[in-house]
Amino acid sequence: MIALLAVLPVVVATVIIGVRGVVAMRSTSDFLVASRRVSPLLNSAAVSGEYLSAASFLGVAGLVIKDGVGALWYPVGFTAGYIAMLVLVAAPMRRSGALTVPDFAEARLNSAALRKLSAFVVLVIGFMYLVPQFRTAGLVLSVVSGAPYWVGVLLAGAVTSTTLALGGMRAATYVQAFQFCLKLALFIVPAVWLVAVVGQDTREHALNPVPYTAFERDTRVDFQVGATLVVERATTVRTGDGGARTLEPGTHTLAPGEVLTFPAGAPVPVPEDRSPPGDAAWQRPLLDLQGAGYPLLGTIAVLLATMLGTMGLPHVLVRFHTSPDGRAARRTAAITVGLLGAFYLFPGIYGLLGRVVVPQLYLAGTTDTVVVALPGQVDSGLPGTAFTALLTAGAFAACFATSLGLLLVVAGALSHDLAPGTLRRLRVTVLGAAGVVVLLALPAIRLDAGVLVTWGFTIAASTFCPLLVLGCWWSRLTRAGALAGVVTGLVASAGAIAVTLFAPPVGGWLAILVAQPAPWSVPLAFTTMILVSLRGQAPPWAGAAVLQLHVADR
Amino acid sequence: MSPYRARRVAVTSPQTRLAHSQRRHDRPWRRPQLRPGEAERAQVVYQRQRRAAATALVPLGALILGLPMLLGAFPWLDDVRPAGIPLSWLLLAVLPYPALLALAAWQLRRAERVERDEDRPA
Repeated sequence: MIALLAVLPVVVATVIIGVRGVVAMRSTSDFLVASRRVSPLLNSAAVSGEYLSAASFLGVAGLVIKDGVGALWYPVGFTAGYIAMLVLVAAPMRRSGALTVPDFAEARLNSAALRKLSAFVVLVIGFMYLVPQFRTAGLVLSVVSGAPYWVGVLLAGAVTSTTLALGGMRAATYVQAFQFCLKLALFIVPAVWLVAVVGQDTREHALNPVPYTAFERDTRVDFQVGATLVVERATTVRTGDGGARTLEPGTHTLAPGEVLTFPAGAPVPVPEDRSPPGDAAWQRPLLDLQGAGYPLLGTIAVLLATMLGTMGLPHVLVRFHTSPDGRAARRTAAITVGLLGAFYLFPGIYGLLGRVVVPQLYLAGTTDTVVVALPGQVDSGLPGTAFTALLTAGAFAACFATSLGLLLVVAGALSHDLAPGTLRRLRVTVLGAAGVVVLLALPAIRLDAGVLVTWGFTIAASTFCPLLVLGCWWSRLTRAGALAGVVTGLVASAGAIAVTLFAPPVGGWLAILVAQPAPWSVPLAFTTMILVSLRGQAPPWAGAAVLQLHVADR
Repeated sequence: MSPYRARRVAVTSPQTRLAHSQRRHDRPWRRPQLRPGEAERAQVVYQRQRRAAATALVPLGALILGLPMLLGAFPWLDDVRPAGIPLSWLLLAVLPYPALLALAAWQLRRAERVERDEDRPA
C-alpha cells in the first residue's frame, strides 16, 4: 500500500509528461525550439537529473555495505567525468553540431561505416545501462510491497516505453531539471532525518565498524534473489512458515523467496567469496575489487572507467546540445560538477548507517535496497513509513528519468542509424527495445546496479572516449584509425566483461583487469586509433575540421 | 510576431519523429571549411586551448591517481579522527567534490579567457 502511494505519483507524472509531449509537439514547434535558449544552470540541472540513475540513488550505498567504504570512489569517478568532459569534449562537441556520437562520426570523418559502428556501441552501452535500472525497479518494489521481482521490472518497462511511445520527453529540459531537484531533496532530507533519529549508539557504531560475524538480535533475512552461504557452525533457524530448520556446517544454496530468521548470538554465515562487512579491509578507503587483494589497482581501474566513460554516455551527450553554443556547453559541464558533488556527499551516510542497521542485506545479496530499507528499520511509526515512501518515489524517479533518456537513444540508434527504412517507426522500436531490456533484466537480479552501470562506463571509455578526444583534438585521425580503435576497444572491454560473467573466476590482479578492464582497454583503443591513423593519410580538409571545433561561436 | 520569437532557431534531435518527418538529416555532408583568413587565427586559438586542456589534466590526474595512492601509502590516516570520523574517510567522501568544483571553475575561466583574447593579436 505504501509502495503504491509512493510509486503511483511518479508513474502518473511520467505518463502525463509523455502525453503532454504529444500535444506540445503537434500544436507548435515552440516546444522543441525553446531548448536553444536554455541557460547553463538549468541545463546542468537537467544533465544531472538525467545522469543520477538508480545506480547513484541506491547502488552506491549498497556497494558501501558490500564492498566497504572504498565504494565511495564510484561517485568520485562519476563526478570527475564531467571535468574530463569540460576540458576535452564539451565545447568542441557542441560546435560540431552533432547530437550523438554516430552524428559526430559523420560530421568529423564523413564515414557511414563508423556511424553504424558507433550506433551499435550506443546500443551496447544503452542496454548495459538500462538493465540495472529496470532490475532496481523490480527489487525496490518487491522490498517495499512484497510483489514478485518481475512485477516491478515489467512495470518499469511498460511505463517508460509507453511514455516514450506516446510522445517522448527528449525536449523536456524543465522536467529533467525538476527531476534533479526532486531526487536531491528526496535523498538529502531522509538522510538528515536518519542521522538525527538513529541515536548516539548507532552513530558511534557506524563510525567504528566491527566485523559482522554474530547476529546481535533475532534477524529475519529475506532471500529475495537467492544466495549461496557458507555455514561454519550448525545453526537452528526459523523458516518463513514458522518451522525450525538446522543449517549444518557447509555450503547452502537458498532459493529465491526463502525467508529465514537467525537467532540472536548465532554466527553469521558468509556468502561465497566475500568477507564480512565491517572488517579491517572493509574500513580501508580503497576498493578491493573481487577481493583480489590489490585495492589500489582496483580503485584506479574503477576511477578510470567512470571518469573516461562519462564523456561517451549517449544520453548525457544529447543533453549538452540544448546549450546555445560551445561556451554554454562548457559552463553546463562545470556547473554539473557542483550539482553532482552536492548529491554524492550523501550515499556514504546511507551506506554507513545501513551497515549497522540492516547488515543482513549483505547475506541476502540485496544491498541495493538499503536506502529504502533503512527508514522502516529505524522507525516503525508514521515517520518511518513516510520516509520509506519518499525514498521509494525518489528511486523510481531516478530509474525512470535515466531509462527514458536511454531508451530514446537506443531506439534512435536502431531506427535511425542501424536500420533506416526497415525500422522506421520509432514507437515500435521503443516498445521492442523495452521488451528486450525487460527480458535481460529478469535473469540479472543478482548483479549489482553499481557494477552493471560501471561496465556501461567501461565500454564507453574504451570506445567513444578515444574517438571523441582524438576527433576533437587530432587532425591526423583517419576513418580507418577510428574504426580500428573503436572495434578494438569494444572487443577488449566487452570481451573482458563476458569473461567475468561466464567464465570460471581467475584470481589476483588478473581478476581486477578482467572485471574492470579500463586500465588496459582504454590505452589499447587510443594506441590502435593513433597507430592505424599514422599509417594512413588524413583527408586534406581534416585540419579545418578540427580547427573549426575550437573557434568561438559567433 | 514579437522580435523575441523571430530570433528563435529550431533545434531538433535527429532522433525525434519531427526531425524524421522533415528529413533534415538527409542533407549531404559538407566538407569542413574555414572562412578565408580565419585559418591562422584558428590555429593560434586551437594551440592555446590545447595547452589549457593539457595543463588542466595534470591536477585532475593528480587527484584521481594521487589520492588513492596517498590513502594506500598512509594507513595511519584511518586512525586520525577529527570529530570521531576517520580522516581517510573524509578525504574520500568529502574532499574530492570541492576540489573538483574548484578545478572546473579554474579550467572554465582559462578556456573562456582564450576565447575572449581571440581577436587580439597573439
